Amino acid sequence: MRSLPVSFSRILFNFLKPHAPIKIGPASKLHQSTLMKQRSSIELPMPTDLVSYWQGVFEAEGVPEAQTSIEYIVSYVLEAKTFQSLRAEHLSKPVTEQQLHQVEELSAWRLNRMPIQYVIGEWDFLDLTLIMRPPVFIPRPETEELVVLVIEEFQRKVKPGGAEHRDLAVAEASQCPMILEVGCGSGAISLSLLKKFPKVNSRVVAVDKEEAAVSLTRDNATRLQLQDRITILQHDILTNHNFLLRHNLVDIIVSNPPYIFKDDIASLAPEILSYEDPVALDGGEDGMQIIIGILSATPHLLKSYGDVFLEVDPRHPEMVAQWLQIHPDLDLSLIATHKDFCGKPRFLHLRKGKVPGSSARD
Amino acid sequence: MRLFRSTFRVTGRLCTAFTLPVRIVPSFALDVGTAADQVSRRPCSASCLPRLGDAFQHEPLQTFLSKLEEAGPRIGGGGGSRLRLQELLLLVRRLRARERELRDLDGLMQTDESEDLRKLAEDEKVSCQEEMIKLKEQIISLLIPPDEADDSDLIMELTAGVGGQEAMLFTAEMFTMYERYAAYRNWNFEILEYFPSEQGGLRRAAASIAGLEAYKNLKYEGGVHRVQRVPKTEKQGRVHTSTMTVAILPQPNEINLKINPSDLRIETKKASGAGGQHVNTTDSAVRITHIPTGVVSECQQERSQLKNREKALKILHARLYSIKLEEETSRRENARKIQIGSKGRSEKIRTYNFPQGRITDHRIGFSLHDINRFMYGEELLHELIQCLKECADYESLIEVLSENAD
Repeated sequence: MRSLPVSFSRILFNFLKPHAPIKIGPASKLHQSTLMKQRSSIELPMPTDLVSYWQGVFEAEGVPEAQTSIEYIVSYVLEAKTFQSLRAEHLSKPVTEQQLHQVEELSAWRLNRMPIQYVIGEWDFLDLTLIMRPPVFIPRPETEELVVLVIEEFQRKVKPGGAEHRDLAVAEASQCPMILEVGCGSGAISLSLLKKFPKVNSRVVAVDKEEAAVSLTRDNATRLQLQDRITILQHDILTNHNFLLRHNLVDIIVSNPPYIFKDDIASLAPEILSYEDPVALDGGEDGMQIIIGILSATPHLLKSYGDVFLEVDPRHPEMVAQWLQIHPDLDLSLIATHKDFCGKPRFLHLRKGKVPGSSARD
Repeated sequence: MRLFRSTFRVTGRLCTAFTLPVRIVPSFALDVGTAADQVSRRPCSASCLPRLGDAFQHEPLQTFLSKLEEAGPRIGGGGGSRLRLQELLLLVRRLRARERELRDLDGLMQTDESEDLRKLAEDEKVSCQEEMIKLKEQIISLLIPPDEADDSDLIMELTAGVGGQEAMLFTAEMFTMYERYAAYRNWNFEILEYFPSEQGGLRRAAASIAGLEAYKNLKYEGGVHRVQRVPKTEKQGRVHTSTMTVAILPQPNEINLKINPSDLRIETKKASGAGGQHVNTTDSAVRITHIPTGVVSECQQERSQLKNREKALKILHARLYSIKLEEETSRRENARKIQIGSKGRSEKIRTYNFPQGRITDHRIGFSLHDINRFMYGEELLHELIQCLKECADYESLIEVLSENAD
């Protein structure tokens, strides 16, 4: 009697269900209480039994990443990050009744296709563990590479003898860069950049037009004790860029703007469609709406020789290059297009001010 | 003494490596026990083990030092750089001065009638001897060639061997022991790979250990560790013998190992279709293959894919570096008792006998008798490691001297 009786779990899950798209069997307080009594006599399951049981349930219900999902839930309940990092002594003893209850509760959410990051309420981004809260956009692994790219480019720029070093003022500024992030969501990009630029003078202004994002970024900043070096503003970059006049022009603009083509939105997985804010995903007809908004605002935001780093759809690098050609007044050059870990052109590096002989590389 | 002779054999091969007459080496080995009181800083109590200070009774060392005194730092050779030889010469001269002082004091004590003066001379003698011990230690540490990797951080790999679940349980205990030892030494201990068995055992694990002299100390832990006990699962109360293997891989820096990024195949759970914002995959496991050698590493310790990639790369680098080091050392035929690297990895180095509460290190024929305290990974493990270090230093000292003997 290692695994849970299916009927029990189903009923329990139904009882706890946060939303109600899936109906399985009747759920009543009566069932609940009789089963609770039964449970005290049940031998508590081992962590691996819990995984295989719920993996089966998830698979039967068509929940994607069935095994990974329940592994994350069980390890979260056992206070580890991944199932593979659970120590032998944790795996060799049964879970407690309270842990079992918690696993069941969280699994019920997952059965409703809630993304695992929301289910456990946290996720890691580079060195940081961030609070995750619906409907704020969940950072994707590609975006970790965007942050690394910003840091690498910055270090190249600051290095004596680097192309930009001849301009003393620029060099000085880039020692302690002033960074603007557009559409900060959970704060993943801004906060990891602050973590990587430990100098007190390097500062970040993070803006998002959604209140939920602004408040989550604030909570994450406080939790990581980075709140003194970040200014978080609720602001829509498309409607107004005068807000920055109170701050100075920035050295770096970084953004993972909504870039999904409007027509693709409907085909996204339920995890994304039902839980994540579409405002953080929908880039308009050609996915370029916010990208163009950011680039158009650069005259008001970015210093000369300042950099722009964007995460985009693989179709966008070409489109952005064409768009820049018909907007020479912005004085922006596409310095490089970088590929993500799947080999897709994903990141754009642009610079204000003409760079002689520059063309897209990588 | 018997123990020492049987376990610390000086092999014929080592003797022929000496340019000295062959018989000198074993006769010295027999002298070790009697000279044991000279330098006694070693924590292990077994008087049968060679001590570094004993080397001063050793003719090759005395010959080498006299030569150094005669010729000055010009003699060159395996002792190291000129600067090192100069420093060495300085120390030898100071040692000689102390030796003379000691002889004078001895003479004084024999001739002097006054009780007070004899007492004074006695005190002088003690402090003189103490200083001589320090000088000898300094001389020896200058003579022993440093290991290129000594200052490196390292990756420790533990793998269960023969004995099924029992071997895996023992591997888990060993893992905990080293984790505690790292804490005891104030080293940073970071788990890179961890593959437990369902019964609370450990199939295989890798950890990165960083800190002062971490590799220098832990390199002697590499090899096959054997456990003898009644497994928890055993109904008839029979003692089983199982094994596990420890491998110690120094962590290379960017200078001593260069890897071409295009030689690496990095596999991740690829997002299907457009990727990026279009999907939300949470599987962050990373697997890296070094294509030219086929060496593979993987990591799923972290929820961040990039962190997993960093950790997997760390393991891969260490594995490739240890292959490189082994290729280098296998060219230099080596007759040492305490082996580091691949030769040592297949050697049975230690037995953990639980019924008798005894731990025996076969390389130096040395036993400890509080197995539970030993497994706690603190002072007893530390003592044994210091002991091994000293024996290994001793061996490399002999080697250096033999190279310098002509």
